[in-house]
Amino acid sequence: MNLLRQAYLLLCKDLLLELRRRDSLLTMFFFGTLLLFVFHFAFDLPPDKIGELAPALLWLAFLFTGTLGLAQLFQAERDNHCLDALLLSPLDRGALFLAKTGFNFILMFLVELVVIPLFWILFNLPAWNLIPQLFLVTLLGTLGFCVLGTITAAITLRARGRELLLPLVLFPLMIPVILATIRCMETVLKTGGVADAMGWLRMLIGFDVIFITIGVLIFDSVIES
Amino acid sequence: MRLTVKQLAKAYGYLWALRQLDLELAPGEFVALLGPNGAGKTTFLKLLAGLTAPSSGTIELDGASVAGARGQIGLLAPADHLYDQLTVRENLRFFTALHGKAHGDNELAAALDAVGLSARAGEYAGNLSAGMKCRLSIAKWRLLDPGLLLLDEPYGVLDGSGVDLLEEFLRQHCAKGHIVIMASHHVSRAVNLCSRAVVLHQGRLSFNEPKQSPWPSFDRAFGDFLPRGGL
Amino acid sequence: MAQSTNALKKSKGILGALALLAVAVGLWWSLLVAPPDAYQGEVQRIMYLHLPSILTAYLSYFLVFIASGMYLWKREPKDDLLAHAAAELGVLFTALTIIEGSIWGKPTWGVWWTWDARLTFTAVLLLIYAGYLVLRASIDDQQRAASAAAILGIIGFLDIPLIHMSVYWWRTLHQPPSILRPDKKPWENVHPAMLTALTISFVGFLLLYFYLLSLRYRLGEMRQEIKALRLERGI
Repeated sequence: MNLLRQAYLLLCKDLLLELRRRDSLLTMFFFGTLLLFVFHFAFDLPPDKIGELAPALLWLAFLFTGTLGLAQLFQAERDNHCLDALLLSPLDRGALFLAKTGFNFILMFLVELVVIPLFWILFNLPAWNLIPQLFLVTLLGTLGFCVLGTITAAITLRARGRELLLPLVLFPLMIPVILATIRCMETVLKTGGVADAMGWLRMLIGFDVIFITIGVLIFDSVIES
Repeated sequence: MRLTVKQLAKAYGYLWALRQLDLELAPGEFVALLGPNGAGKTTFLKLLAGLTAPSSGTIELDGASVAGARGQIGLLAPADHLYDQLTVRENLRFFTALHGKAHGDNELAAALDAVGLSARAGEYAGNLSAGMKCRLSIAKWRLLDPGLLLLDEPYGVLDGSGVDLLEEFLRQHCAKGHIVIMASHHVSRAVNLCSRAVVLHQGRLSFNEPKQSPWPSFDRAFGDFLPRGGL
Repeated sequence: MAQSTNALKKSKGILGALALLAVAVGLWWSLLVAPPDAYQGEVQRIMYLHLPSILTAYLSYFLVFIASGMYLWKREPKDDLLAHAAAELGVLFTALTIIEGSIWGKPTWGVWWTWDARLTFTAVLLLIYAGYLVLRASIDDQQRAASAAAILGIIGFLDIPLIHMSVYWWRTLHQPPSILRPDKKPWENVHPAMLTALTISFVGFLLLYFYLLSLRYRLGEMRQEIKALRLERGI
């Protein structure tokens, strides 16, 4: 219980700081929107073709914006050596992991909340009624991204060229999440439900559960020394 | 709290920052940690705080490791370890909650009043001057009450009344049986307060004695590498 | 001290000689004794290198995982040396596998590369562990580099089954595994000489692997010793 209480405290702190610093959210939002325009210029396709590509394009956008957020994830802690101040406290390191994962998840959630409908508008897609299901699938994938992303951001924290290193290390590990989310979204778009992609959905949930557990257990070693 | 350091060593790349350091401190000791730039003072404090891992050797606090004594060790960094975009009061509230020592609003207000910051409680910590930040840190560690308090060069940013405040706090802190270790270049001030002087030189412990008055051995040891020397 | 070093050197020399011998015998069996494949002809012989390469790479990644876990638990520098050595060799053998696969793929499938599940999966392994090596090289503080790498060594390995599953579901047009078919016993669908050639070749690769691992591990140890000496002398 202590773990969750500490995580909640840290998460509130991060949200309050984001509200006042505006480090990440606005940049991520504009970058996500910008990518939609780039995609439009790059793939000058009719709406029916864009519909088939929608899951892949959306997820590319989320992957890049998410990486942008991860690069900033520990910025508040780097200023004034606040990470040291956190490490001095008897805080459970797992709580720090949960808080940072949750924080990045909330940021990406807010970005996706805007970008998905915007995609539908910009590309004139008809299937508005499927957006809630698509959104739920996306959130599962986003959670997986944030979980491994937080661990990766933490181990690259003290590396030279960490902004470049982060996607290099993270993206290969994200392949199950990327494939599963895109396949689930495609199934939703084709059949209106996720029933035909239950295997993928299970894998996505399994990924989230496995790596949240591992993160809580080993974040102590991730952040120390 | 009792502190035992055995054969502590830390290397950065091909350089020893610290080596073969043995130290034994009894409850209530106030150590003046002295030495020229690059002697290893900051490295020693970081090792004691558990912020960096030793290359070899052990540190024990009442028989527990540094990791086991977390929360019992405080590091007062003069103008650091505060969130710039949290207000003065929010910083205090956050860190006390983080240490599991949440205080009521009245106690927080009293703590701020004691360091002369009550008028600025609602301001962002980032807007404070370095001296003000140091005062806030003093308020923070007074509330957290750690068994081992480490300070790295606290005098540089404080004004006259700030120095009085700090020294009064440190005296009270030692009187409770806690250990204080202060690294400083203000030799006379540090020696005036301390119960023991420890001098590092090129990563080694070159002097370690309880305070005496007069103190010829200290003058000799310190005269080696400080141009002004002596007290 | 000197004696044990000598004994160690000797045993390493014997291991190297054995590896050389086994690889040579394996090649002889693979290229000359085993009959050509009924469908693919001579080109199938590359399988005698291809399969041992990838199995050795898997073994190497498993070693990285174990050594990383040991390092995080005990914080002994030797475990980190082992993890580093195994990761480098894993990358080497994975790269070999991909190159051999390409050479095999050109005559059988008509292309150097195809996005088939097993190829893609192997390439992802290469990317993960190449990232591992880059990460190590980018962190100056040795202890920090070691723990960051150990974390990646663990989560990377645990991710492998998931990557494998997802890539296979994504697409499969690779030929089904030719040796271990659940419906038939191995000796029923393969000429015995082929099986012998493969076994010898695999043993040869294993011996070669452990020989290289011991060399690479020793190299890491020597770097540590140099560092210790430089620390001692202050240079």
